[in-house]
Amino acid sequence: MRGLLAEIVSGAQDVAIADMEAGLENLSRGTPRHADIVVTVLEPYYRSLETGARVAELAQELGVKKVHAVANKVRSPADAAAIESFCKSRGITLLGTVPHDDAILDADREGRALLDRAPSSPAVRAIQGIADSLLA
Amino acid sequence: MKIAVAGKGGSGKTTLTATLARLFARRGRQVLAVDADSNPNLAASLGLSADKVPAPVPRELLQDRTTDDGSKISVLSMPASEVAAKYGAIAPDGVRLIVMGRVAHAGAG
Repeated sequence: MRGLLAEIVSGAQDVAIADMEAGLENLSRGTPRHADIVVTVLEPYYRSLETGARVAELAQELGVKKVHAVANKVRSPADAAAIESFCKSRGITLLGTVPHDDAILDADREGRALLDRAPSSPAVRAIQGIADSLLA
Repeated sequence: MKIAVAGKGGSGKTTLTATLARLFARRGRQVLAVDADSNPNLAASLGLSADKVPAPVPRELLQDRTTDDGSKISVLSMPASEVAAKYGAIAPDGVRLIVMGRVAHAGAG
């Protein structure tokens, strides 16, 4: 599996973006070795941050140069601050912060794309900023 | 640019991946979106209807080959662009989606 994914992605033109397995096993088996950037999605609670820390360590061990984070489901300044301080302490670049947004739940429930369901929602606006910084 | 999005289940990584893929395409990039989750659902988040979700890329496309110095490598039996064209589906904004399917067991491939 990892070989197949790596081969396909390494031959892709322009931009390839992969939604990886939820667990960490794909990282320990080296799947994202061919990625330029590993983006770890962090939620503002302890276990999510711990997982994020392990993702970052594994990706760095695999030689991925850029390990970045996106904060998601952020409800308060305290949430944002917790993730910011975590990223700072681990040397992880925080690409952006996506607020908690009911539009995401609505889109999921209806099986629709967030971008179609709620194109001007706060979550989409935040992700636009993240897309811009990735392309910059 | 090759981006791998990781996170715990339910972290929102699929929504983030899909939305980024479509925004990149809207900014003029040619985008390949890869669903490498063992519970694939990137298609719906991209806005692809259930009847258009592509079949997983067959593992048999990867062949073992022995190089001149005797080491074993795995190579695709067809160019990557052909794999993406043959096994991919076109999602809104022109994003091409391929699905890697379930991992059989640890250490496979």
